[in-house]
Amino acid sequence: MTRVWIFAQRDLRRMAADRRALIVNLALPLVLTAVMGLSFGGGVFGKKGISAIPVAIVAEGVPEAMQTRFLDGLKKSGFFAPVWADSLEADTMVRSGKVAAALVLPPDPLTAFFQADSLVIQVWRDPSSEIKAGIVEEIVSRGVLRVQAGEGAFRALWPGDYAAIGADSVGFAALLKGNPVDIWNRLRGPENAGTREEAVDFIVRQIDHEVALQRALQGSAAGLAVADKAPTGEKKQRETSLFDYFLPSFAVFFLMFAVAAGARDLHRERARRTLQRQLLGPGSAWPIVMGKWVASVVQGLVMLSVLLGAGALLFRVNLGPDPWTLPLVILLTCTAAAGFFLALALLVTREKVLDNLCTAVILISGMIGGNFLPVDNLPAWASSAGHYVFNYWANLAFSRVIGDNLSLTAITTPVTVLACASLALLVVILTLFNARVKRGGWA
Amino acid sequence: MIEVRDLVKKYGSHRAVDGVTFSVARGELFGLLGPNGAGKTTTIGVLSTLLRADGGQVRIGGHDVAAGAKEVRRLIGVVPQEIALYTDLTARDNLMFWGRLHGLGGAALSRRVEELLVMADLADQARRKVETFSGGMQRRLNLVAGLIHEPEVLFLDEPTVGIDAQARSRILELIARLGQQGLTVIYTTHYLEEAEQLCDRIGVIDRGRLVALGDKESLISQVGDADMIRLSLPADRLDAFHAACGGWTGCTGVGERRGKVEVRTPDGGRLLPVIQDWLRANDLPLEQLEIERPNLETLYLNLTGRGLREEAS
Repeated sequence: MTRVWIFAQRDLRRMAADRRALIVNLALPLVLTAVMGLSFGGGVFGKKGISAIPVAIVAEGVPEAMQTRFLDGLKKSGFFAPVWADSLEADTMVRSGKVAAALVLPPDPLTAFFQADSLVIQVWRDPSSEIKAGIVEEIVSRGVLRVQAGEGAFRALWPGDYAAIGADSVGFAALLKGNPVDIWNRLRGPENAGTREEAVDFIVRQIDHEVALQRALQGSAAGLAVADKAPTGEKKQRETSLFDYFLPSFAVFFLMFAVAAGARDLHRERARRTLQRQLLGPGSAWPIVMGKWVASVVQGLVMLSVLLGAGALLFRVNLGPDPWTLPLVILLTCTAAAGFFLALALLVTREKVLDNLCTAVILISGMIGGNFLPVDNLPAWASSAGHYVFNYWANLAFSRVIGDNLSLTAITTPVTVLACASLALLVVILTLFNARVKRGGWA
Repeated sequence: MIEVRDLVKKYGSHRAVDGVTFSVARGELFGLLGPNGAGKTTTIGVLSTLLRADGGQVRIGGHDVAAGAKEVRRLIGVVPQEIALYTDLTARDNLMFWGRLHGLGGAALSRRVEELLVMADLADQARRKVETFSGGMQRRLNLVAGLIHEPEVLFLDEPTVGIDAQARSRILELIARLGQQGLTVIYTTHYLEEAEQLCDRIGVIDRGRLVALGDKESLISQVGDADMIRLSLPADRLDAFHAACGGWTGCTGVGERRGKVEVRTPDGGRLLPVIQDWLRANDLPLEQLEIERPNLETLYLNLTGRGLREEAS
């Protein structure tokens, strides 16, 4: 492996020294990323990273003036595009994907609020709109938690208020203590002076107060219930952000050009006779081509990481649900790409032929592999043909991780295909290279 | 040190090397002389294990190049005709890479790289990218890169192609020094004067065949003592000149090449006044009359009927 690294290190040094290649492979994609990000994503340059989320509000029994104020408040926040609906309409809207979620308040929420009844808010989610519905749920959940926390704090600060104490400063339990004569005398006592009617009123008032307090303390002041609403009617498009799709697909597209240039270098080395000079070194020949493969993979890793990293920093592109799924997809994409273009280089004998072949292959595989159009939107024939090019599986994996926030377990097919292709292509390039060395084809 | 016996290398039906046999002693500077396409580079390719021979046997340091390629590669260094360097890297980075490739490392590698940079007179240019070097500097670095692992045998394939006279002379000096240090060198060239100046023995190769082999003096003696007198004549006087030549003592042959008449004679000094008299008698100018002593060019011409430079161009 030391020899492999000697060859790889040399290529990496050369890549780092080649300013033109750095511009083409890194600066250009970064500029393109910025342009795309500004067009589709916004990010830190002023626009919001995500468009306003359509939400249906169901709150039957709320006065119209209050509805308007509530809707205006939500709109002003910039996060939501709310619409008022009854529960039936809201259900239909969620299921059809017209709104990401519905916020359902109990009937006559104001009365419940002022009676200190527990206020359970429901969130109906569109399961296909994970991110946006998730945001709604998170915001509502935080609001409910605040109410619950406030109540908890209130109880902690004024525990006396929660004891069974009357509003008129006489403890209800103390008032009713003893036998009926004592109770009567206590009620007729100097501190409770008044008519018998006043005494009855006082007792009734105390009972009402006690009952209301007990009822309020039976449950939380506010609660949250979340329900996913299965889609109805025709299949709704998966929620995608154009930038989430275009960033990785353009990165893969540029990666193909960069790796193809690395593969062409094999022919350039032959023409310059540095390849023959390496073949004259001690040891086996395979580390020479393996070193090129490693260098291409490292180059690809740097390129994709920089581009996706820049996308995440500048335009809040999602980097997946965990720290390992996206890096694994990046690695497998690079290994497959390096193997694919080196195999092409070993199949042709002249650099010029390889040049033309690479350009044609990149454009065609870009078209059928989902680099110009999201893999989910490809026509059926292109999608079928795309199964035979590595970038289709790479784009599919990126799209699932970045666009849908899926983890490794949910993208086993593209990951397995990329891993198998990488391994198979590596075997192919080592075999082809050694065969050519044996027959003196590099001399 | 090197034994080549009946070496054959074919490309399809074309025999690029056709039954070549020679040997080179340890410490000898052996020249392989021939025009482009004669089979020199192919011969070096087989000797350096890059190409597989279709026939014959090659042994270097006692190892067969086919069966013991790995052992042979440890013994040899090859300097290709092309600048086989990474021009986008610095001179030092290049040498470091080639050194690591041959298993060198650490202080030993750094020391060897410094030695070679000094040898190539590039010590103060070590951090410059090779692409910024002149042709001569690149050639010198190309040459010392072949020495990084201190080989016992060095193959130099036309190491002076495409550089000016001054740069060439520095390269030749460097090679001469290597020869003096006891390195066995096989030097291919189509420049006669380089082979004459450097080599202990010379093999002349033409169309894949070794047509002459020996030291410079013995090769020239194969031509005999023939001097060559060249002159330009109008076409309508050629027949008259041929007829006159037949009657002159010492004229051993007359031919034509590149529009010039060539007269072979054992003693050019004697025949020259006779030719001058004939030219005057026929009212022809004397300016384009020249005499050439026997050399490898005449040998090559004798052996193949063509001039070396003519082929090379």
